[in-house]
This record gives sequence, C-alpha cells and structure tokens, in this order.
Amino acid sequence: MRNKFMALVTVCMLLLVCAAGASAETLTIGLKGEPTSLDPHFHNVNANNEQAIYVFDKLIRQDSRQNLMPGLAVSWIPVSDNVWEFELRKGVTFHDGSPFTAEDVKFTIERIPTVPNSPSSFTGMVSAIKKIEIVDPHTIRFHTEGPAPLLPRNMATFNVVSKKYGKGASTADFNSGKAAIGTGPYKLVEWKRGDHITYKRNDNYWGVKQPWETIIAKPITNDGTRVAALKSGDVDIINFVPPADVAHLSKDSKLTLSKSPSTRLIYLHLDSDRNDTPMVTDNNGKKIKNPMKDVRVRKAISKAINRKAIAARIMDGLAVPAAQMLPEGYEGTSKTLKPEAYDPKGAKALLAEAGYPDGFKITIHGPNDRYVNDGDIAQAVAQMLTKVGIKTEVNTMPKSVYFGKASALEFSLMLVGWATDTGEHSNCLGALLHTYDKDKGFGSANRGRYSNPKVDKLLEQALVTVDPARHNALLVEAVETGMNDIGIVPIHYQVNVWAMKKGLDYNGRTDGYTLPREVSETK
Amino acid sequence: MSEHTTEAVVQAPAVQDESLILEAVKEFFENRVAAVGLVIFIIMIGVALFAPYITPQNPYDLMSIDIMDGKLAPGSKSFDGSVTYWLGTDSQGRDMFSSILYGLRISLGVGVVSTIIALVIGAVIGLWAAFVGGKTDSVIMRIVDLQLSFPAILVALILLAILGKGVDKIILALILVQWAYYARAIRSNVIVERSKEYVEAAKCLALPQRRIMFSHVLPNCTPELIVISTVKVASAIALEATLSFLGLGMPITEPSLGLLISNGFKYLQSGYYWISFYPGVALLILIVSINLVGDRLRDVLNPRLKR
Repeated sequence: MRNKFMALVTVCMLLLVCAAGASAETLTIGLKGEPTSLDPHFHNVNANNEQAIYVFDKLIRQDSRQNLMPGLAVSWIPVSDNVWEFELRKGVTFHDGSPFTAEDVKFTIERIPTVPNSPSSFTGMVSAIKKIEIVDPHTIRFHTEGPAPLLPRNMATFNVVSKKYGKGASTADFNSGKAAIGTGPYKLVEWKRGDHITYKRNDNYWGVKQPWETIIAKPITNDGTRVAALKSGDVDIINFVPPADVAHLSKDSKLTLSKSPSTRLIYLHLDSDRNDTPMVTDNNGKKIKNPMKDVRVRKAISKAINRKAIAARIMDGLAVPAAQMLPEGYEGTSKTLKPEAYDPKGAKALLAEAGYPDGFKITIHGPNDRYVNDGDIAQAVAQMLTKVGIKTEVNTMPKSVYFGKASALEFSLMLVGWATDTGEHSNCLGALLHTYDKDKGFGSANRGRYSNPKVDKLLEQALVTVDPARHNALLVEAVETGMNDIGIVPIHYQVNVWAMKKGLDYNGRTDGYTLPREVSETK
Repeated sequence: MSEHTTEAVVQAPAVQDESLILEAVKEFFENRVAAVGLVIFIIMIGVALFAPYITPQNPYDLMSIDIMDGKLAPGSKSFDGSVTYWLGTDSQGRDMFSSILYGLRISLGVGVVSTIIALVIGAVIGLWAAFVGGKTDSVIMRIVDLQLSFPAILVALILLAILGKGVDKIILALILVQWAYYARAIRSNVIVERSKEYVEAAKCLALPQRRIMFSHVLPNCTPELIVISTVKVASAIALEATLSFLGLGMPITEPSLGLLISNGFKYLQSGYYWISFYPGVALLILIVSINLVGDRLRDVLNPRLKR
C-alpha cells in the first residue's frame, strides 16, 4: 500500500514537472526599475512608459530604432498647414471587447494635462493641439495654432486609454487595474508593488499573435541580485546588465547577450537661475551667491569632467562620451559639437577668471537605483570637480525620493538622465533647456531652470517650421546655442545590454524598453 | 559567594582588591584562544587609531583618489606608479587597505562610543527603576519591553531614515536601540543584589539611598555589565555594518566596512572579489576577537563558574 502511494506521488510529481516544462509560454522579466504608477499619463518616465506599452497602444509606434510605424493610426497626413488628419485602425477592441474609436483618442488627449500631481507629464506632447475634430469614428483631425511638423513624433510618445474606463478614473484606479483597460497585447492581471506585475495575453489583439501566454515583470533594483536571478533561472531576461558583468555573462554558455546603443543621455543639471542656491557655500561654509549663474563656472565644470575615464573605468566601455543631447544621426544633432575635452588646467583658469581661484563647496545629488552605475558616476564627478577646486560632496538616494526633491528644486547640482522618446532634438530641447513654462509644457524636466531667450526662440520657431531642412537647421542652431552656453553638462550616452537565457532572442531598443512583443523564442 | 559579600560589607565600596583583579587577569590568560582574541583586538584598535599614519592614502579625500585606479587587482601599482595597492582598489580607485583601516576606525568608534553611552543611560535608568519600584518601575519597564519587542535593525532603519547620514546620527541611533537592553539587565541584577545582607547592613547604617545605589550595589553589578557590554560592542559593530550595507548611515564618499562590502557586492560575480572580500574578513576578525574576549570575561567574572 505504502509503495503504491509513493509511486502515485512520484507520478504526480513527474506530471507536474512535465507541465511546468510545457508552459514555456511564461516570460519572466527582471527589470531594474519599477513603475511609479500604471497610469500611462501620470509620470513620463522610462519604467512607466515601458509597462504602459504592455497594456496600451500608441497612435503611432516606434520600431526598435525609433522610426515611426503605424500603431492605432494607420496613416497621418497634414491636410493643411494647421490641420493633421489621422486615420484610425478599424476593428480594434479594448480588453473588455468595446470598440476603439476616435472618441477614445480625443478623451486621451484631453486627459493628459489634467492628471493630478503628475511629476512629469505628457502635456508638452499635446500642447500644440488647439481643437480636436472627430470626422467619423475612425478619422480624427487635430487643429493646431500654427504648423506642427512634430505632431506625429509627439503622438508616438503616449498611450491611448479607453474613454469608458478612463473617464473620472484616478491614477489609483489605473494602479489597481480597474481603469487599466487598453488595446495592447497584454491584459493587466495584478500589480503587487515591489514584487511583480502579472499580465495575460490579449487573444483579441489586433496585431500579430503574441508568443507569451503570461508575462511576469519583476522589479529587481539591485544589479547583483538581478544578474543572480537570471543565472539561477528565476527570470528569463533582464535589462540593464551592469557593465562589470558583461564580460563574464558572455562566457556563460546558458545565456545570450544583446547590446544596443541608446538615446539615454546621462548629464548634469546645474542651478543656473537662482541667486541663492541651496547646496553651495564658500570654502568656509558661508553662503555665497550662486556661482553657476556664470557661464565660465559652468564651462569649468564641464572641462573638469574626464568623460573618457568615466566611460572606460566606471562604465567598462559601455558608454559613449556625449557632446549634446542625442547621438549623431538623429534629427537636430549638430555636427560641430564635440565632447568637451578633459582639461583640468583650463577649468581652474576659468574658475579663477570667474572670481573663484580657490573654488567653492557644493553637493552633487544623484539617484542610486535609476541609471547604470549612477552612484559611481556621481562619485567620479565629485572626484573630478574636487581636483579642480570645487570641493564636492556626494549625496545619493533612491529614485523614489530623489526625483521629488529634484523637481522641488532642493538641489544645486544633480546627476540626471534623459532618454529622448521621440528620437529627435526638439523633445530634449523643450524638456531640458527651454525656459520653464508649465502652461505651455516647456522645461518640464528643466530642474536647473536654465533659461536662454535665444534657445527658446529658435526652438519655438522650429516647432512651427514645416520645411524639413529649415526645421532641422533651426534645431541644430538651438542645440549649439544651448550647449555652448552649458545649459546642461552632458556626460555620456548609455549602451544598454540585455541578458537572457539561451533560446530567447531580443534585439534591444535604442529607447531601452524591454518589450515582450519583441522577445521571441529561437527554435 | 557569601564570603565575597561579607567582605564587601566590611570594606564598604571596594569590592575587589588588587589581588582579585590580578587573579582574574591571570585566569583570563589561561585560555590561549581568548588571549589571542585580546591581542588581535588590541592590534585592531591600534591600527584604527593610527590609520592616518599607516595608510598610503586617505580614502575619504577625493583629491587623493582617482577613478583611473579603479578596480585594480591586489598587488597592482597605481596609474602614476607611486603606490602599490596590496589589497586592490574599489570602483572609485580607493585603496582597499586604507579603506579597511579607516572603516575599522568608524566601526570601532561607533561601536564603543554608542555602547558606553547606552550603558551609562541604561544603567542609571535600570538602577533607578529597581530602587524606586512601584509605578515608576512598571512604566519604565513597559517602555523597555515595548522597545525590545521591535527588532533592533528595524528601529535603527527607521531612525536613520529620519535622521539622515553621518557618524553622529549612527551613534545616536545605536544608543536609542541599545539602552533598553542594559536597563533591563541592570534592573534584574539590582533586584537580586538589593535583598542581600550587605545592602541591609548599609541601610541599617542609615546611609543615603544614592550612596547605597552607586557605591554598594552598582559595583557588585559591574562584572555582568562588563560581560554584556563587551558582547554588545560586537553586536553594535555588526548592526552598524548592516545599516551601512543597506546604504544608511555613512555618506558614500566615506565608506565604513559595511558600505565597502556593499559596494563590492555588485562586482562579486564579475571577478572583482577583493572589494567585498577583504572588508568582510576584517569585519569578521574584529567581531570574532571581541566575542572571544567577551566569552572569556564571562567565564572569569562569573562567580558561579568559579572552581
């Protein structure tokens, strides 16, 4: 009897093992960042935007190199100087079966500026639209005040929500899943904050059938733990492989790596606006007038940074020294700007010229769980600034604390990153260098409150210039003006690395997203 | 035992004369392992105190470190050839040997200072509670119970999240999590002592309560206090290391042992083992040596274990 029972148990266990083996249709993803919310319009930040693409769709998609592709809109044409017409995809339904129509698009665009407490919103993406005209359920027209050549680019940044569920829904309703009803390839099952987000395949998806039955996205902030989770088989794929681990992971026969250059810029924002900035004192600890209002001081900070050393030693070669806000080849990039050469003598001379021969004291703030090696980069910058006389202390904190404080202007010098979602320069110019203007949606991430009327004017002009060559020339001029005035101090562009178990394939994306719809099984 | 206490009554405050202390010292060294532990502990205090004179680099001075020397293997020469890093460097180019000695300074300093202050506070409160008794005693002891019912690490984490970073803040947090332990231990000791004849004798002499408390009872509790606090120094050091491993406590440019281990943790699988390994070894040796000394002290000072 006992033997029979044992045999039965063994058979059951074998069956279970087989069943587990057969359900290779679950993809478990280890992510460096957890979204702050599942409301796609709450916080314009990489981790949130990434998760939003699982559940929702955009009117216009970006391929893995950020070229525009049809999404919920099949075509878009300017019918006159001030009017864009978008033809919407027919036969698309939301997860609950209700049809997707132009009403949902209108609702989405109207909702974006109204989301309360948004730390950084998509308002700038829709601020050009003055009137929305629904021609028929699958044709919609956007009337703009002036010509808006960038409208399609902007439409490729935010996701469309359902009017039925989104109306009156708060950010909390999206987090709980009540309002997170989209048209995307996966349905939200549950979000256990800090542990996992589970998705189920949407079988009525309008696009190609998805290879994964279930997606489990696990936030694993610690780099070492994330790598260990992959090696032990807890997760199938991880993003942001720490540079130091690339060498030994690529030797592991059970794993595959993929690398992709990215538009993720790591840079310093400096308070160049206030006379009284919180984190600066003279060498004796007495308050002084903000030295970073002087372009010579900003230039000295830029010259003091050894970008090649950071790329080689801190990033193990997985970074490209930056001169502007997007790598060359993207729209609006300048061909004359070169990464500032490391020149500590020049930096000291500039500081002396600006009236700080003995430097001053400052604290650099940075996140420690947001960008690849962020804490180490902040320390390296502090080291380099200290060597030219700017005695720098370092204070790093979790991103959940950091960004709130940075947006509340509690810092003077901060390490930040920006990934240009639209893949062209007006996006980062508008967000980082344009004078802060909440109503127009400019300067949404301008935490140094840099302001240069010439940059503002050139950018605003470019935004209404339809002729591509002229548009590009204006952007280039704006970028050169802002960068030569050291509106920000660019450091490098991240090279992103994914690691996955053998048998999976992911090409990587320049925007850094890990999208299950692009993860395939190699047979 | 009884002989011991009667002697104490006759000679009032002097509980132990010199020959007793000498005997205890002798007995301590009878155990070789404990002797080795004590020697190592003294050496560690020595190198920590004199760290600035022994180390080739001040790892907390951003002027003297360079990322070009980052992640060098043990025994490598620096970029400019001036220093040899015998234990390697971390990702910022800090010499591990120097960092470990400076880290020991913080660990020992924080451990010893916080333990002494917590001991004093705890002793006074415990003594007072035991002597006054009644409501005061109940209230104090319920507070102590409440505090002891939370894990120390949890209380310290919350305190540091509120207080921010810096050595003074860690010490404050460690005092706040430790005092209750001493208060409890001393109170129970005092209650036992209070019922002994020498206290009654002192009372009959109409000595003031304060004098009985501090001059008669407290000295008779010192052996226990010494044992508890030695062991507690080790646990305070471990707690500090845990907190800084979790990123609380010391600023990242002034890493203590825990933070050094945490910095190296993410490189453990990349082959840069030395960033975590050597600080870990240093921490281990420190804590083991203190525990060896503490254990032996318990044996020597505990009259019940006397032959």
